[in-house]
Amino acid sequence: MSTTTSPGEKNILVSIEGLSFRYPDSQRPAVKDVSLEIGEGEVVLLAGQSGCGKSTLLRCVNGLIPHMYPGDYRGSVSVGGLKVAETPMSMLSQRVGLLFQNPENQIFMFSVERDVAFGLQNLSVPREEMRSRVDEAMRLLGVSDLALRAPHELSDGQKQRTALAGVMAMRPRLIILDEPTSLLDPKTALEVVSLIERLNRELGITFIVVEHRLELLIPIADRLVVMDGGSKVMDGVPRDVLADARVEAYGVSVPPISRLYNALSKEGVRLPKVPETPEEMAEELNGL
Amino acid sequence: MFWLTGGFVFKRVVSPFNKLDPRVRLLVALEFFVLSLLASTISAVALVLLAILLVAAVAKSLRRIGRTVAFSGLFAVFIFAVNLLFGLGLLVAILYSFRFLAIVSSTSVFFVTTSPDELEQIMKWMRVPRDVVFAFVTAVRFIPVVMLDAFQIMDAQKSRGLEFEKGSIVRRVRNLIPILIPLVVNSVIRSGELAEAMESRAYGSTPKPTSLYGMRLMWYDVAVVVGSLLLSSAATLYIYHPVSFQV
Amino acid sequence: MTALSDVSLTVAKGETIAIVGENGAGKTTLVRHANGLLKPTKGSVLVDGVDTRKTTTATLSRKVGIAFQNPDHQLFSESVESEVSFALRNFGFAEDLVSRRLDWALNFFGLEQYRKSSPLVLSGGEKKRLTLACILAWDPDVVVLDEPTVGQDSIQKEKLAQIFRMLKSTGKTIIIVSHDVEFLWPIQPRLVVMSSGKVVADGEISKIMADRGLLEAARVTQPQLLRLYSELRSRPPSPFLDVDDARDWVSGSRARQEAR
Repeated sequence: MSTTTSPGEKNILVSIEGLSFRYPDSQRPAVKDVSLEIGEGEVVLLAGQSGCGKSTLLRCVNGLIPHMYPGDYRGSVSVGGLKVAETPMSMLSQRVGLLFQNPENQIFMFSVERDVAFGLQNLSVPREEMRSRVDEAMRLLGVSDLALRAPHELSDGQKQRTALAGVMAMRPRLIILDEPTSLLDPKTALEVVSLIERLNRELGITFIVVEHRLELLIPIADRLVVMDGGSKVMDGVPRDVLADARVEAYGVSVPPISRLYNALSKEGVRLPKVPETPEEMAEELNGL
Repeated sequence: MFWLTGGFVFKRVVSPFNKLDPRVRLLVALEFFVLSLLASTISAVALVLLAILLVAAVAKSLRRIGRTVAFSGLFAVFIFAVNLLFGLGLLVAILYSFRFLAIVSSTSVFFVTTSPDELEQIMKWMRVPRDVVFAFVTAVRFIPVVMLDAFQIMDAQKSRGLEFEKGSIVRRVRNLIPILIPLVVNSVIRSGELAEAMESRAYGSTPKPTSLYGMRLMWYDVAVVVGSLLLSSAATLYIYHPVSFQV
Repeated sequence: MTALSDVSLTVAKGETIAIVGENGAGKTTLVRHANGLLKPTKGSVLVDGVDTRKTTTATLSRKVGIAFQNPDHQLFSESVESEVSFALRNFGFAEDLVSRRLDWALNFFGLEQYRKSSPLVLSGGEKKRLTLACILAWDPDVVVLDEPTVGQDSIQKEKLAQIFRMLKSTGKTIIIVSHDVEFLWPIQPRLVVMSSGKVVADGEISKIMADRGLLEAARVTQPQLLRLYSELRSRPPSPFLDVDDARDWVSGSRARQEAR
C-alpha cells in the first residue's frame, strides 16, 4: 500500500491509452478501448467475470501481446516510458514480470536456483552477477534453503514463491500476477499476499493482480479496476468501488462483508466508513 | 514399471562419484559400455558387471541400479532362451545375457547420477543447438508431471465406468482413447503455458545464454580420467592378448 | 509415508458433509476411497454395506459419482452428446434410457445448445457444468464434489449453488471437498476438518468454525459472516448464515433500538 504520496503525485509507470485488441480467430475484440494509468508503487486489483478481458489486458502490458500473440492491435501501452509494442521482450522482461496461475508450468529447471537464474541466462548476464542476483531473489522470497531442491520436491506455495523469485531476479519495476492464488489453499494464499505487500512496501514494486478472491487482496490494494465485456467499467479506491451496487452485476465475487454493507445502505443503515474486514464492520456496528 | 524406470531417473545423492564432473561420469559409463561389448568370455563380462556394481556402490545408488539389473534379468533370460533356440550354444547364450545386464547397468549408472541440468550442461558443451537442449531438458523435467496427469485421468475415467482390464484386445485399445486424448490436450495446454512463461523471461534473446554453473575439471576428475583410461586400456589389451600378461 | 491415519467416518443417506483442510491434508486421498480408486491398507471402506475391496471401481461408481477438480482430465469425446452418454453406456443403460437421461442432463445444466459441439471448445465454466452433467446423468446416490469452486467467478458459483440445492432436494448424499469456506457456510453442512492425514474435527459447522485455535492449527480460514458475528456486542442466538440474514437482523435491531 503506497501511503506516502497521493495518487496524483506519483510517477506514472504504466500508461494504457485507447487500447483495443482482437485475436485473429475471433469476431469480437477481447479488450475494447481501455485507458488506464498506474502510478509507481501502486497495488492494483483487476477483477471481472471470466471472459471479461482481464487476462488479455495483462498480456498487453507485459508484451506477450503483440509479440507472441499478434492480432488486431490499436491504441498504445507504455511501461516506464517504453512502448510495449515497439520494445523487444528481452527489454520488457526487465521492466515487467508476469506470474501465472499454475506454478508448475513456470518452473523449467531441475533445481530452484537454476530456475531462478533462467531469465538471467537468457539475458547473458555474467556468472558472478547472476549468482548474486539469484541469491538475492531467493532470499527475498524465502526460498534460499530450497536452492537445490527439484520442483517435484516443493509444495504448491514453495513453487509459487520459486516462480516469483525467478521473476524478481529480472529486477522488474512492475509485477503482474494472473490469479496467483486460485490453486492454493487459503492460508498459503494469505502468505503469498503478505509477500506481495512486503515487496511493495520494501522495494516499491508496482503490482497488478487479477484475482477472484477479492477479500484476500483488498487490505493491500490501492485500486480496484473492474472489467466487463472487454471494457473498463469501474476504477477507484476498493472501498468505494465495492460500495457501488453495480459491482455485483459485473460478476465480481464481492466478499460477504461488502455485500452486507451495500444491503444495509439500501435499507437506510449508513455506516460511517466502508469496512474492508469483518472486524472493521463489527466495530462500526457496535458503535451504532 | 517403477523397477525399470527407477534405474534411469536421477536421484540427488551426495557421493564421491556424484562429485565428479558430469563429463567424467559420462566417460566412465562409456568405458564400461564399450568394455561390455568387447569382453569375449563370461568371466570377463562378469568382471565388468562387478566393476559397474562397485561404482554404483560408490555412488550410493547400488540398490536402485541393482533393482534395475534384477528386473532386466527377465530380458536377459529371454535373450538366453532365444540364443539357445538358435543353436548358439549354452556358453554363448550366458555371455550374451550377461552382456545385456552390463550394458543396461552402465547406462543406468550414468542416468541415476546425472541430473537433467547436468545433461543440459553436457549437451551445451557438445555444442548441441540451444533449442534442442531446452526441449530435451524440459521434456525430462515434466515426465513426472505428465505421469501424474495420466494417473489422474485414469482415475477420472475409471470413475465413469471405464474398465481397463476387461474385453478383447480391440476393446482394450479403444479404452485407451479416453486416456490419450485428455493427456494430449493437457500437454498442449501445458506447452502453451510454458511458452508464455519462457517468453516472459526473455527466452531466445541471445543465441549464447550464460549459466549459473560451469564445468571445471578438478584434480580428482583428471585422476579418474587417467586412471580409468589406463584400466580400460589394460582390460582391452588383456581381452585381445591374454598371453602378454603371463610374461 | 501414510497419507491417512486411523480415519473413521460414517456418512448417512441424504447427508451433506464438507471436508476441509489444507492442501496435502488428505482430503482428496480420503474421497478416492469412496469409489474404490484407492483401497485401504488397514481398515475397511463400506459403501452401502459393500466392502470396496471386494468389488470394482466401475461397479462402485454406479452408486458414488466423483466430480474431479479438473475438467480437462476427463473430456475427450467428439461431441457433448457422446461425452454425457459415455458413462451411461459404460454402465449398461438401455439406449432409450441413455437418450432420456442425456436429454435431462443437457437441459438441466443448460447445455442443450452445445449438444453437437466439441466439449473442448466450451468455456471453463461450461466445461465444469459438463463434467457435472456427465455424472448426474447416471443418477448416483452419492455425489462427491472435489473443489467445485476453484477458479470460478461469482456467476458460475451461483449456478453451482443452484445445482447443489437441487441435489439436496432430491435426497442425494453429498460430499464436498473444498477450501472455499464462504461457499460452504450458507449450506451449513456437517463439517469434517482434516490435517496431516487425520480427522481433527467432525460435527456442526458453526461450533467447529468458532474454534479459532483448531482452525489455525488446521490452516483453515473462518467465513467473514462468522468473524463479524463473533465480534458483535449484541447479536442473535445463532450466527448469520448469509448476507440477507445479517442485514435483516441489523436493520431489525436498529428498529428495536429506535423504538425504545
